[in-house]
Amino acid sequence: MASFLVRNGLILAGLVLVPVFVGEFWAYQLGLYFLYALAAMGVGLIWGQAGILPLGQGMFVALAAYLAAYGLLGLGPSPLAYLIIPAACLAVALLGFVFAVTIFRGRLEQGPSFSLITLALTLAAFQIATTWSSVTGGFNGLRNIPGLPGLDGFLDLYYLIAVVLALAIATVDYLVRAPIGALWRAVADNERRLAFFGYDVAALKAVAFGVACGLAGLAGALYAPQQNLVTPDIAGFAFSGDLVIFAAAGGRAAVLGPVVGAIVVGVLSAELRGRFPWWEIAIALFFIVVVLRLPGGLMTLFAPLKRLRLARSPVPRPSQAPDKPRIATPLTVAFEEVCVRMGDVTILDGLSMQTGDEAVLCVIGPNGAGKTSALNVMTGALPKRGGRIVIDGVDVLRPQPAAVARSGVGRKFQTPSVFQKLTIDENLAIALWAGRWRGIDLLLPSLFGWTTPLLDEMRRRFEFMRSGAKPASDLSHGERQILELSMALLTEPRLLLLDEPCAGLSHEETAAVIDAIRWARHYLINLRIIIIEHDMELVRRLADRVVVLHQGRFLADGSVEEVQGNPDVRAVYVGGTR
Amino acid sequence: MESLLITQAINAVYEILILAVLVLGLAVVMGLLNVLNIAHGEFVMLGAYCAYLVQKAGFPYLAAVPAAAIACGAIGLVVERFLIRPLRYDPFETLLATWGLGLLLRKLVEFGFGRGFRSVDIPVSGSISVFGEAYPIYRIVLMVISAAVLVLLFVWYARAPTGARIRAMVGNPVLAEAVGIKTRQLARNTFAAGTAWAGVAGVMIAPLTPVEPFMGLTLIVNSFFAVVVGGMGTVTGLFAGAGIIGGLQSVLSAAVSPNTAYLAMLLLSILFLWQRPRGLFPRS
Amino acid sequence: MLTSIKTSRRDLLRAAGVGALAIGAPAIIRPAAAADTLKIGVLVADSGPAALFGPAQRAAAELGAATVNAKGGILGRQVEIVFADAGVPPAEVAKSAVKLMLSDKVEMIFGSHDSAVRQGVENVVKSKIPYVYTPVFEGDDCSPNVYFLGEVPEQELQKTLPKLLEFTKDKTFYLVGDDYVWARTTNEKAKKYIAQIGGSVVAEDYYPFGAPNRFESTVTRIKSMKPAIVLQTLVGGDNVNFNRTFADFNLSDDIVRLSCLLEENTLMGIGKDASKNLYSSLGYFADIDAPQNKAFIGELNKKYGDKAPQQCTISKGLYDAFVFSAAVTAKSQSLAAKEFAAAAEGISFDTPSGPMTMKNRHTIKNIFLSRCDGTKFTVVDTFTAVPTQQACT
Repeated sequence: MASFLVRNGLILAGLVLVPVFVGEFWAYQLGLYFLYALAAMGVGLIWGQAGILPLGQGMFVALAAYLAAYGLLGLGPSPLAYLIIPAACLAVALLGFVFAVTIFRGRLEQGPSFSLITLALTLAAFQIATTWSSVTGGFNGLRNIPGLPGLDGFLDLYYLIAVVLALAIATVDYLVRAPIGALWRAVADNERRLAFFGYDVAALKAVAFGVACGLAGLAGALYAPQQNLVTPDIAGFAFSGDLVIFAAAGGRAAVLGPVVGAIVVGVLSAELRGRFPWWEIAIALFFIVVVLRLPGGLMTLFAPLKRLRLARSPVPRPSQAPDKPRIATPLTVAFEEVCVRMGDVTILDGLSMQTGDEAVLCVIGPNGAGKTSALNVMTGALPKRGGRIVIDGVDVLRPQPAAVARSGVGRKFQTPSVFQKLTIDENLAIALWAGRWRGIDLLLPSLFGWTTPLLDEMRRRFEFMRSGAKPASDLSHGERQILELSMALLTEPRLLLLDEPCAGLSHEETAAVIDAIRWARHYLINLRIIIIEHDMELVRRLADRVVVLHQGRFLADGSVEEVQGNPDVRAVYVGGTR
Repeated sequence: MESLLITQAINAVYEILILAVLVLGLAVVMGLLNVLNIAHGEFVMLGAYCAYLVQKAGFPYLAAVPAAAIACGAIGLVVERFLIRPLRYDPFETLLATWGLGLLLRKLVEFGFGRGFRSVDIPVSGSISVFGEAYPIYRIVLMVISAAVLVLLFVWYARAPTGARIRAMVGNPVLAEAVGIKTRQLARNTFAAGTAWAGVAGVMIAPLTPVEPFMGLTLIVNSFFAVVVGGMGTVTGLFAGAGIIGGLQSVLSAAVSPNTAYLAMLLLSILFLWQRPRGLFPRS
Repeated sequence: MLTSIKTSRRDLLRAAGVGALAIGAPAIIRPAAAADTLKIGVLVADSGPAALFGPAQRAAAELGAATVNAKGGILGRQVEIVFADAGVPPAEVAKSAVKLMLSDKVEMIFGSHDSAVRQGVENVVKSKIPYVYTPVFEGDDCSPNVYFLGEVPEQELQKTLPKLLEFTKDKTFYLVGDDYVWARTTNEKAKKYIAQIGGSVVAEDYYPFGAPNRFESTVTRIKSMKPAIVLQTLVGGDNVNFNRTFADFNLSDDIVRLSCLLEENTLMGIGKDASKNLYSSLGYFADIDAPQNKAFIGELNKKYGDKAPQQCTISKGLYDAFVFSAAVTAKSQSLAAKEFAAAAEGISFDTPSGPMTMKNRHTIKNIFLSRCDGTKFTVVDTFTAVPTQQACT
């Protein structure tokens, strides 16, 4: 907390003191670039944090500007005019949120389509703003917009803008460091994995977009009184593209990156454009170099500053995480004649199997038998063509990953799927928060201190998890497997799906994992585990019951010995030693 | 007053084919290599300038085709080596890098030729009668060439060994490398082919559009929409995209108004992108 | 917004903080311009869609300054130009205008750019200094202390439309333009004149501004409706594109085209094969056979040799601005708003396109109807002293 206040206090002081050093005109000029910086920070948030490139933020700036213009024209000299700024900001933020949640609902990993939707919207917005002259003033713009009452001269509005910018920076700073910031980065890193923890990924993305639009809204709301003129060009692609360039050049992942980008690129452009005809070539080359060599943008040049400790870094105080509501019985799953097809290939051909009383069920079968696909179709990663999947007695028509996860299913994927760019601690935290956070918990940094006995146990058993500040990408393959397993266990599921949990593990690691699974099985009394495994040794040590699949169909089941003695099984599945 | 419906119909077909040809280079690069080359319009622009220079020097217009292909292909090779490959063919990074590239190319051409318009004479002037209505010959020629190229490309991609290799590389690059397909070279050549083709498209449209350094910018937006709405990586997708973006606009422009047509195209793109984020006919 | 510069304490602090920022700060603490030169801010299109006019605008402005300086300058002081880019968004041009006034201390601003930018500049100038706006525009702006030298639609069309009927078989008009203020306003005014001459409008097509437009649908409609005259308010690339498509569909022989903004550069783009029966109505063409124009072009060629940029009405207006200002200040002996406005009303001055007289802050001027011959303009008729019908006080 202390370092947060110091950091942002310094920024506020710096911004407010600028006119002292550079005079009125510069304050006026910087005011405009601060507004650009506000909007660019929104781009940095949605893109640098959540990994979604917005190509149309200009439209939201313009919308807020037009709204503010009408507000100012209507309210004029009344002090109520100041309410226009938060009102326009909230209106646009809400609109952005609703828009994003509609687009993202029910779809994972959209690639360029969301970006292009925003591009199409901004092009349409420019056309509408240009032709709807009766409302927007058309191409020439809405003019004679009064300024905010009581603010005369260039300087007064500058101070307001500077304060707003400082507050916005502080807000973004806070959000980035809050649990929700970690979740946004998880979205950018591995959306699918996050959905499988039960998080509403669409809502997370929409909140990020809403905040980004709120920042754009602030920029627009202050633009109208600063310029006293709102023209359609801010709605168009050129301005939206500039915002992306500011964020990229400055460093989209850093809080101050877009601010630095907007000011440096904007000011340099304005100053040097007139003096050097080849200025735009220089800026194009500079941009290319930044993309190639400085992916973190200009802010990487300031990286050494990070080591400057202005105050004590916040260390989260450990606290007991709230309990998840426990249902006493393990999850039951039944497949009834389930069919899955991908193009011409039949993956599951009328698969029928179900869980019984066993705590650990191993699913085995030759490659291509459909083992992973069975898990995929159950958790909604593959579409079901026919048959029924009954989870806890309820026929689940179209399983959605997040919903399935929330009903108590945890999953460890075949290839270890963790959040590579996040630290080990953040990975574990995200798993821990799933299903436990309430209300505004995701805004509270104290969540980083949550712990449970299970987490303590995992940290005790596996030493690498104690160096929690390391990024997960630094881990070996085996360590990542174990990390993902722990994360799945942390959600305290009723059904745990393990897909080859020991693949690629050394002998010692395998033993440690088996031991951990055994411990978890007893600690979490309502836990059922389904393990897909090839290693018969493992199956022998862990399985209460075995199911054999072959060519997308159920072949046989029973205890380990029964299955190994089954002639049909022998015929299709040879031995099975590693 | 004749209603000239046939002419309007041919206009729509022309729009679709021309857009398909313009977009082809981009569809190849985006659909097969996952590279978002936003400087695609600039390669078309360079091709158009090649056509202008060839015509000004007195050579036959057809000479501009190999000239543009070589020039744009060569630049494409350089771009692939220094921009695309270092960024590991990542879509967002290449989008940014090619944005800078586009800025650079525009400015360089502006320095060399100035901002003014260059006029490229139509190589085949006059009209012929199509179902009783006169239609400009050059556009008919372009339509025939475009259709032929697209069909040939489709067949080649499906049948020829290089086509198979590209499909393998796209489907599973690691495996392709393992069986001896030189994926790096193949990717590089595919990229250069995409830019070379953009240049040739520029030669084709140069007599029909204003040739100036910023002409690429007007093209690129529609091109991106056509590729993404239609679906990346399939020829059907290319036609679908060109059909929706180009054909629809042409029809609505004639039937209602150009303004409505443009907004409708944008709205439809939004709807399609929302409901089918991977496009109508994506590579599965 | 432009209240008086604040206290000298601030000046001291500024001087103290000069080390803080290298860029720009020296410009602010530079001592006030020597009393000998009169600085004039000139907004030209260095970037943006109109950037093709930039070099010509600069050349015309510089020649204007040189011409005025040779005759003693303005108010006895030599004129010095400070250029700024008007091709950037209006907010940024407004910022440049503020810089011109506060930091460069210009005493007049001349602008050759679109109306959105003009409104942005008017917002910050706030009638503190005279603002001379030179290009073709839609009219209907009466902002105080702003002086308009460019052609308004009333001037372009009033006398031209009746004359054009001599070349056509009947009086049916097809209107096609870009969808923004200038085009829409021009068309509204055109409809009045068309009604006056007994003509009729068969259709009106508007194209989205800045979109990748294709014109086959409109051209096909024109082909089917067979109007006598196509009145165009398309600009830039759309102007070129439409006209080439029009000619490609073989319509130039039978249908006359009149463009409201077709100058030399755009005609180059349209090309010789597409310019048959294409007319342009403007206040200036570079090939006008008049002694003042010959002198103007001659001076430019002398100064820039074969690098002289192609002049057109958009750029030549800046030259006029200097001549205008010299004439007004010779009479008013002051740049103060009231005196300047009083002296400006009724003043006549000589330009390369002929004499201009200011009335209601707009200019009565010659209008030329030109026909395109290949890529050159041939003046078909000259209308002298065409009034603007603007009622600003």
